[in-house]
Amino acid sequence: MKHFSDIVSKLLQARAFGAVAAMVILAAVFQTMSGNFLTSSELAGIAQVAAPLGIMGVGVAFLMISGEFDLSVGAMYVFVPILMGLLLTKLFWGVWPAFFAALAVAAIIGLGNGIITTHFGIPSFIATLGTYFILTGVTFMVTGGYSIDYFHPNALFTMLGATIGTEGLTVPFLWMLAIGGIFWFVLNHTRYGNWTFAVGGRTGVSRALGVPVRRVKTINFVLCAVLAGFAGCTTFANLSSAQPSEGSSDTLLAIVAAVLGGTSLFGVEGSIAGTVFGALVLGALETGLVLVGAPGTLYQAMIGGILIVAVIMSIRFVSVGSLLGRFGASR
Amino acid sequence: MRPTIVDPHEGKGPPLIELAGVSMEFGQLRALEDVDFQLWSGEVVALLGDNGAGKSTLVKIITGYHEPTRGEVRAMGRRVRFKSPAEARGLGIETVYQDLALIEELSLWRNFFLGKELHKKVGPVSFSLHRREMQRRCEEELKRIGITRIRSADQRVSLLSGGERQSLAITRAVYFGAKVLLLDEPTAALSVRETERVFQAIQHARDQGLGIVYIDHNVEHVYRAADRIVVVERGRIIGSYVRGEVGIEELVGLLTRGEPHELSLLPATADGQS
Repeated sequence: MKHFSDIVSKLLQARAFGAVAAMVILAAVFQTMSGNFLTSSELAGIAQVAAPLGIMGVGVAFLMISGEFDLSVGAMYVFVPILMGLLLTKLFWGVWPAFFAALAVAAIIGLGNGIITTHFGIPSFIATLGTYFILTGVTFMVTGGYSIDYFHPNALFTMLGATIGTEGLTVPFLWMLAIGGIFWFVLNHTRYGNWTFAVGGRTGVSRALGVPVRRVKTINFVLCAVLAGFAGCTTFANLSSAQPSEGSSDTLLAIVAAVLGGTSLFGVEGSIAGTVFGALVLGALETGLVLVGAPGTLYQAMIGGILIVAVIMSIRFVSVGSLLGRFGASR
Repeated sequence: MRPTIVDPHEGKGPPLIELAGVSMEFGQLRALEDVDFQLWSGEVVALLGDNGAGKSTLVKIITGYHEPTRGEVRAMGRRVRFKSPAEARGLGIETVYQDLALIEELSLWRNFFLGKELHKKVGPVSFSLHRREMQRRCEEELKRIGITRIRSADQRVSLLSGGERQSLAITRAVYFGAKVLLLDEPTAALSVRETERVFQAIQHARDQGLGIVYIDHNVEHVYRAADRIVVVERGRIIGSYVRGEVGIEELVGLLTRGEPHELSLLPATADGQS
């Protein structure tokens, strides 16, 4: 029976376990209630909702593993495509320069978050909350609350956000998988990934071993900001419209995806695959609730509940694990 | 007439670490005054002294955290001016801190190879981490220092006891070719058996030819672990003894009174009250 307990403990150890379990439960519930949840068009709908959350979530998870938070991702997700849209429609830039310039601005803001946090010793919670308000404010200032539309077909928008086939599968979903794959590799199979894990713990240890703690954290702030901006641009391309209000209520969803995926609020632990699953769970929840005709407002309330359950579960598993000693393995 | 003194270090080359006339001032505060100190290969030197005596300052000069206000630091016979701990580390001067040795939540192999990761190579390009090799080597080292109940190096450090963590941290420094090891109270808050384990790791490191500086308050621990005991008081070295040359009671007396037990050739401190 040793084998069986090994398999069970391996399953429970897997940080993506919670997200996968939630996915299965949601699928079963919605399928039973509606009878047509598991259809290709519904699955494409899930993928469409999940994609930007997953792309953002990967950056958020990476940063959280290294022990820092970015509360400004939602605002970045809105601000970067707005900036790109302004460059396109007001200054008549080409799509490529506008795209890269907007991402460069995201990188600079991320760098700012990183420097404020690591060099001035301000908790990233506060630093990025400040950034969140600044970005949200500026977004409304420059748009007046109106969306920016850009309907000229172009190669960049196709690559970023086209819809493939008749069922409505979108390119951003593929971006999520690709970005997830790249960051999974970096996290688990490179020295930089090892350092990212390490600086999430007590930083004195890393510093004593020669790991450049500040640099690693700052780079992760930049990656997080750029991924959030990139996610925003895929939505812009998909809708041909940059919305200043979108995302304002969903600000923290990327963080929810990361946490659902087993990323610890205390650093060091986390999973990229889990985060992608976490995003899919959110997609399934939203799509499924619409399908069964629940009021849209229920979505947010349910996310809150699920988040709390997920965090309790992850903390429980960790403590049970260290009690039994055997579940204690981590990546 | 002076007796002939046989230098036990004759023919061994220069000491690993040598401080000559080192003073350290922080503003008005004199943390160290005209200190001479040597550390040789294959010896454990304990620094004994009360809180604030200057032990930590002495160690921090060796590890490159402080640049001395006056005096010379030599490492492996060459004059050095460390601008950062990284420079000292580059010469093989490693510190194992009591509570900053390992990251608890992280797996054993990730800890062991942190900052010195092994890579798989594709031609000349290092491609990805060589996880299996790092796990294998880490498991080997764990077994060697007698931590056998750990099944896999993929498990977390938090499963190790305090003594096991210290031993592993010391072993890691030896593994990566450290020449000088500084240990800051490695046995604080450890049980007798755990302390024994750490002493074993220290002996092993010494047998590999490392020079070890060991800071502790516990006179009995110091007496057990050290080949040589250096007593620091008010920023000065007030005694240096080969183990066996001095008893535990004498050391305790030195520490509590803050001056040499019997008349010594060292100058008494100006304000040395008992």
